[in-house]
Amino acid sequence: MVDSKQQWKAWIYLAPAIILLPVFTVWPIISTVRMAFLNGYKGLEAVGGATFNFGIENFTKVVKYKKFTQCLKNTILLCVLTVPISTFLALIIAVCLNSIKVFQKALQTIFFLPYVTNSIAIGMVFAAMFNIVGSFLGTSNELVQTAGIINNVIMFFGGEKINWINAGSSYVANMTVMTVYIVWNALPFKILILLGGLQSINKQYYDAAKVDGTRRIRVFWRITVPLLSPMLAYVIITGFIGGFKEYTSIVGIFGEKMGPADDSKRLNTMVGFIYDSLSTNNQGRASAAALILFGIILIVTLINLYVGKKRVHYA
Amino acid sequence: MKVVLENVTKIFPSRDKKAGGEVVAVNNFNFEIPDGKLIGLLGPSGCGKSTTLYMISGLQKLSSGHIYFGEEDVSDLSPENRGVGLVFQNYALYPHMTVKQNIMFPLENLKGSDKLSKEERIERAREAARLVQIDELLERKPSELSGGQQQRVAIARALVKMPKVLLLDEPLSNLDARLRLQTREEIRRIQRETKITTVFVTHDQEEAMSISDMIVVMKLGVIQQIGAPQDVYDNPTNLFVAKFLGTPPINVFNGEVKNGKLYIGKDAVMDVKLEDKKVFVGIRPEGFILNPNGVLTNDLLSVEVMGRDVSIVSSNPASANPTIRSIIDADSKIDRDAKTISFDIKPNKIFLFDAETEERIYF
Amino acid sequence: MADDMTKNNSTLQNDKMEIKSAVENEAFATEGVEIKALKKTMKEKDMNRVVITQKVMKVMVQVFLYLFLCIMAIVVLFPFYWMIISSLKTLDEYRLSVPTFWPRQLMLHNYADAFNTASLGVLFKNTMIVGIVSTILSLVITVLSAFAFARLEFKGKNTLFAALLATMMIPGELFTITNYQTVTNLGWTNTYRVLIIPFLVSVFYIYLLRQNFLQIPNELYLAAKVDGTSDLKYLWRVMIPLALPTLISITILKMMGAWNSYIWPRLVANDEKHRLITNGLRNAFTETTGDVNYPQQMAAVALVSFPLFLVFVFLRKYIMKGVSRSGIKG
Repeated sequence: MVDSKQQWKAWIYLAPAIILLPVFTVWPIISTVRMAFLNGYKGLEAVGGATFNFGIENFTKVVKYKKFTQCLKNTILLCVLTVPISTFLALIIAVCLNSIKVFQKALQTIFFLPYVTNSIAIGMVFAAMFNIVGSFLGTSNELVQTAGIINNVIMFFGGEKINWINAGSSYVANMTVMTVYIVWNALPFKILILLGGLQSINKQYYDAAKVDGTRRIRVFWRITVPLLSPMLAYVIITGFIGGFKEYTSIVGIFGEKMGPADDSKRLNTMVGFIYDSLSTNNQGRASAAALILFGIILIVTLINLYVGKKRVHYA
Repeated sequence: MKVVLENVTKIFPSRDKKAGGEVVAVNNFNFEIPDGKLIGLLGPSGCGKSTTLYMISGLQKLSSGHIYFGEEDVSDLSPENRGVGLVFQNYALYPHMTVKQNIMFPLENLKGSDKLSKEERIERAREAARLVQIDELLERKPSELSGGQQQRVAIARALVKMPKVLLLDEPLSNLDARLRLQTREEIRRIQRETKITTVFVTHDQEEAMSISDMIVVMKLGVIQQIGAPQDVYDNPTNLFVAKFLGTPPINVFNGEVKNGKLYIGKDAVMDVKLEDKKVFVGIRPEGFILNPNGVLTNDLLSVEVMGRDVSIVSSNPASANPTIRSIIDADSKIDRDAKTISFDIKPNKIFLFDAETEERIYF
Repeated sequence: MADDMTKNNSTLQNDKMEIKSAVENEAFATEGVEIKALKKTMKEKDMNRVVITQKVMKVMVQVFLYLFLCIMAIVVLFPFYWMIISSLKTLDEYRLSVPTFWPRQLMLHNYADAFNTASLGVLFKNTMIVGIVSTILSLVITVLSAFAFARLEFKGKNTLFAALLATMMIPGELFTITNYQTVTNLGWTNTYRVLIIPFLVSVFYIYLLRQNFLQIPNELYLAAKVDGTSDLKYLWRVMIPLALPTLISITILKMMGAWNSYIWPRLVANDEKHRLITNGLRNAFTETTGDVNYPQQMAAVALVSFPLFLVFVFLRKYIMKGVSRSGIKG
């Protein structure tokens, strides 16, 4: 509306961003793509004057690389396990929260609490809860031992104690612990978004359903879920993106070994793989893995958008 | 301070980028606003009246032409150097500041020798608040005020730095009908007291007529007529101005001049010394005189009693509108069951316009 | 006052009446003979049954809701509880085969030990320096850029903004690879600036604040211009106060980011002098499984978590608002 010949003023306001962005945002995109397509690119050798051929060797090698496929498998498995569980649980909790009056705010606050935590620090707490002190087999020369609070609860209900995370633990047990932790960590965000969505649904829909005598369960599936679908879609897509970038929660529980003591790196993820490649100076490999990660995230987003167009109802 | 607009033109690039081209929002304006007068810029939306106001304020640059405040050419001055006060349609009060802080805010920008101490600023703010009669509300936040009170705060904020020219953009459009009446008297009073040259923009002809010393009627970026409200009403220069001013609006008929007589349909309503041609005939609602043997006969539709007056709704095949409204004294005897009704017409309330150009034809 | 009292009285009476009628209803339902004695028709009796079933259902649903929510709340809170009580136990008590749910002897000494073992003092200091400096600088950059995008007109504005938004799609790991090289080449490793500068411009925060700025009516800006207010003053006196909730949310999220960042600091500044809190914690207690001194470790974890809880308690509103509006996962 205002005539402004003083364009330079806008650029002064933008100057700090305009100076920093090319260095730390634009250049990295170009450079990372470049490194990914230079066969076997290593930063140190490049400084030493070595040249690399252009090609897709980094990609072909990395997908055949056993460590990488293990990481990919772990990452996908964690996504597939945690996103549906946490979304469903968050939906149920949000719906319950939305239908009570007394203590609603207090409970809402409690459910949000895990959001403001340090995933490494609380991971260490989870490790303590699942850990078994002493030999798992309970040989007699162990002085004291505790099976950990979780195992104690299981035994209280008459179950057998399980080696969750110690040396000799199974992959399934490890993944179960990770799933529990990641779901616990993911709940607050999802509950917050879904509850916000629920509270913005017009009460008239529910009144109409009530007049028609619709059963609660039917109201849930036929009214609540469709009207909440934009938020659900949002929560699911951010869940998947977060899931594909999972790293620190595993570091929290298992440490940098990324696995139980006798089988380190067993639980490594895509992001872990990228950083391992980086710290061993394999920038080409790291870049290729990062681009694959980007590709996966892009595909998930596009699928979600496509499904969203067909299934999501915008009220 | 008199304000002079000289060949003022504003051209915007067309919004439709593909089509290209330009939109002339204000086309070659020339007029002078005498010192200390209240001027209404009047026209339907899109006529360029707000653009004109913004150009006077300096918020928009001229495409060509000059604006003078007194003898000084201010065309290239930025708003803060022109010494204008501007009141926005939605008041634009800072929501996080109290009334006092809002009014004092413009004073904080004064620099050099104009700089005021905090005490002086508060005193000036109080003075301005007193002028618009909101001195009780100084510690409130805008959200705690009614629409009318917010309007007063906005005026006080515009007045506090003693502007040479006060500009009001649709000052009454956000108020309800009763407040509107009251506030326009208030604006008139403040303007009289301060004697600041004031320009205000409105699309409401009644509002403009009631308080302006002079109105400027505009249409599609072109000035149609300038003058005192009563003069413009009594002597419109074209059909647009005639139609735009007056409530109820003027009645328009398709007429014809034939053999020195003006015909509306089959009725010859008066003698005119004009050559034969098709014309638009405009008759003000108050221009009808009830007469059973009158020159114009319409089909009677209904009679609405409004206390002081009676409003007769009738129709005529020659009318450009579906109904014709005439305002008659309440004392007049009207046969409500009659099929038709006949009138004589006051000669000073009937206007002729060219059927092609819609320009006034004097006779 | 008097009004309130009468209101209370009347609600009390209503309650009583409801109870009474409920009791009567029950009597009708159970004692069919009595109903006949009272000359109630069959139809009315059925209606009473329906009313009772409805009430019972309603109460049961509410009980179930609260039960479920309470169980979930316990599950959510349990790790925090376990962290705190474990941090207060002696090592021997912690290792009892049957765990205790309240420490027999409060071992506050664990906290002092943990503080020294992990040299938390230095870590706190480093994290605060990085957190505060990067938050302030980041806020300045974000505010200036958001203002330019929201209020100023310049060539290429929309193109530039769209390009910025596009970079938000890309995962951070992709940037890290090259940024790691860049900062190494610049010789910035093991400095504070390596922890601050690369993340100063957040496209997301610029976007968030711009949206907020756009909601402020343009007339405020024009009014300020007529009064001769400079852009900077307008920004400081009007835009910033009006966008304060968003700015507070950004501040909290940024501070939490410094507190929780792990990957980047580990790569570029993992020396004693510049190490941040999360890395320090992980470094000091490398073993998480097996025979570990958990009470001390939990004390350290509690110390690291405590500031976050404080922030949560006092600024919960802003965090929840910021997160729900922006939908960021920290």
